Amino acid sequence: MEQPVLADHPGRVGSRRPRARFGKALAPYLLSLPAGLWLLILFLIPLVVMLSLSLQTCNNATGACVMTWHWGEFWQQLSLYHGQFLNSFYYAGAATIIDLLISFPIAYWIAFYGGNKKNFFLLMLLVPFFVSFIIRTVVWQFILSDQGIILGGLKNAHLLPQSFHVLATGYAVVAGLAYNYLPFTALPLYVAIERIDRRILDAAYDLYATKRDAFLRIILPLTVPGLFAAFLLTFIPQLGDYVNQQVLGGTSNTMIGTVIQNAFLVNLDYAGGSALSAILLAIALIGIFAYSRLLGSRAIEDFL
Amino acid sequence: MNEHSGPDPEQPGMDPSIWRGLSMPRMSRRQILKSAGTGAGAVGIGAFLAACGVSGTKVTGGKVSKTGVGSASWWKKQPVTKTVNFANWPYYIDVVSGKHLTLDHFTSQTGIAVNYTEPINNNLPFYAKIRPSLEAKQPTGYDIIVMTNNSPPLGYLINFGWLVPLDQSMMVNFDKYAGPLIKNPSWDPGNKFTMAWQSGWTAIGYNSSVIKNPGDSVGILFDKKYAGRVGMMSDPQELGSLGLLAIGVEPATSTESDWAKAAKKLQQQKNDGIVRSYYDQSYIDHLKNGDIVVSQAWSGDIFQADLNSKYRDLKLLIPVEGGMFWTDNMCIPQGAANPKAAMMLMDYFYQPGIQAVVEYYNDYVCPVPAAKQELLNPTGWTATALKQMKPEIGLPPSVTANAPTVFPTPEYIKNSRNYYQYKSQEELNAWNNLFLPIIQGA
Repeated sequence: MEQPVLADHPGRVGSRRPRARFGKALAPYLLSLPAGLWLLILFLIPLVVMLSLSLQTCNNATGACVMTWHWGEFWQQLSLYHGQFLNSFYYAGAATIIDLLISFPIAYWIAFYGGNKKNFFLLMLLVPFFVSFIIRTVVWQFILSDQGIILGGLKNAHLLPQSFHVLATGYAVVAGLAYNYLPFTALPLYVAIERIDRRILDAAYDLYATKRDAFLRIILPLTVPGLFAAFLLTFIPQLGDYVNQQVLGGTSNTMIGTVIQNAFLVNLDYAGGSALSAILLAIALIGIFAYSRLLGSRAIEDFL
Repeated sequence: MNEHSGPDPEQPGMDPSIWRGLSMPRMSRRQILKSAGTGAGAVGIGAFLAACGVSGTKVTGGKVSKTGVGSASWWKKQPVTKTVNFANWPYYIDVVSGKHLTLDHFTSQTGIAVNYTEPINNNLPFYAKIRPSLEAKQPTGYDIIVMTNNSPPLGYLINFGWLVPLDQSMMVNFDKYAGPLIKNPSWDPGNKFTMAWQSGWTAIGYNSSVIKNPGDSVGILFDKKYAGRVGMMSDPQELGSLGLLAIGVEPATSTESDWAKAAKKLQQQKNDGIVRSYYDQSYIDHLKNGDIVVSQAWSGDIFQADLNSKYRDLKLLIPVEGGMFWTDNMCIPQGAANPKAAMMLMDYFYQPGIQAVVEYYNDYVCPVPAAKQELLNPTGWTATALKQMKPEIGLPPSVTANAPTVFPTPEYIKNSRNYYQYKSQEELNAWNNLFLPIIQGA
């Protein structure tokens, strides 16, 4: 007898319904809370700190930074280091193009001819990357050194002049960047090529398309979003890379990442380093924005 | 990046220069560091955030209060503790089969255990690490730290009152044996806060088999004859000072307009293709393997290289314009738990017999001139220690004793120049904004 009374209690029923609806409305937000917190704590807060620091004036004796709205910092840093920004663009751009040219055939081959060994080939592509980034880069320093296994041999065979060197040049930096970021290009490309419906190709051949036609008019257009995703994933991190430049580069090809790293860690110039980072970030964001306008944001979501 | 400066297991065999960037002389100690991959003294995010919000610290100008920390009555109350934490630069003290003889001897004499660590790779980043503790009046965990006089942090520490004024009554050996170069120095008049650990010159190293007639001037670094085979240093302080010497200005008394002229001269040197590279301590390897034939160089490195018959051609030139003279200074940070033991240890190193052992390993400029006699005619403990070290060092102690770069002749002393001391943050920024873009060229 007691139970129905409780169940029919008007207050209880009345309060349960709205609560249930409220919870339902909140569910998506609650479910995305971990991701949201992640973004807030690890991205937004540092970003705000960095942006505000770039407008502060810091004293590295006391470590005190005072907000002075010093917009001039941006122009000063830009005027001191615009060349290093340009270097970053040249090198990252060149390395990305090389990566795209190398990884397209690789991805194409694995997707179309990998058969049941696709996963094995993908693993092979990634195996070198089980080794630390730094070690791989330092090994390149060893391989490319003036009297190293490649140049030394060529020089001893008198195929190259003694003064020839690759290290401490922009070429070495581009080579290092291209090598280190290759999987970031190859994997999105592979995904894009792999998901092409083979029946479309069959249809094309039925309609007397040559292999070349089929590639240019079906495969390439269908992989364009993958190409752009690969471009972004490779180009943006390369833009801020400083390890390759420091290990393989010389004095006249400093990239902006090196300048930022030194500003923060060696010279304790937090304001200057923040301003440079902010400029780099702004440039990268403009690039992403332009890209998403050109190809639609769905294309990014599909491949990132 | 790694927060601590010890060897990083992730990066074995890596040239530490990659991380360190602007580095300091001691790091080239016997090139051992070559193999000890080292994370730069990176500023952790904690220190970094702390750095953002702090509103400022009162400048005390290094005055000692009558009864406060460091006063005679304060020192009287300090007990002699059984341990002391000594933070130094890597490879800067005698080592024989992994043991520091001088420190062991100190422990056996006094019963005070020395916790010797090597966390200092670079002045500014190390300062950034201990600053939050000092600011919060917390112990840094160190009783003795070693700071270079050519870098701003030593001045900061003194000005903010973050160093414990030394107990002058405990500096018995120092008063008796300290050399004129480091006694009562300009950066710490009266040795109120510091005692020198070692000193050295930043001068010119050259390969005498290629350069027969080096002349006596810094002009050799700007000589087009050696285009592409000249090394310069990547530390803005070192590079800028050399530039100032080259335009005939005393770095210590230079002005901002002089700096601009020096920067122009250095930029020209780079544009002319004379500079092969801006090096940290790795210059010595490039000097050895012939990539460069002349370079800015630290005195101890050239001496070290000379010990090996293969590199006997490397010579040190202290130009008439002057060699930049720097000193690393021991000091006691505020909040040190064992100040009395620290005083005892610091003064202990000023015994000629002890210093001789350190110097036999180090080969930088010895703060104790009397150590020369101990190296030539060692007695007692010193003789045993030197004998124990000889197989690892190779050459006899007399070589160290007779080196003018260890026990400088009057001529060397005359040509020593001091670094510019920045008076404000703006000055430091101005200096860096002139010289860093040359080093980090595009």
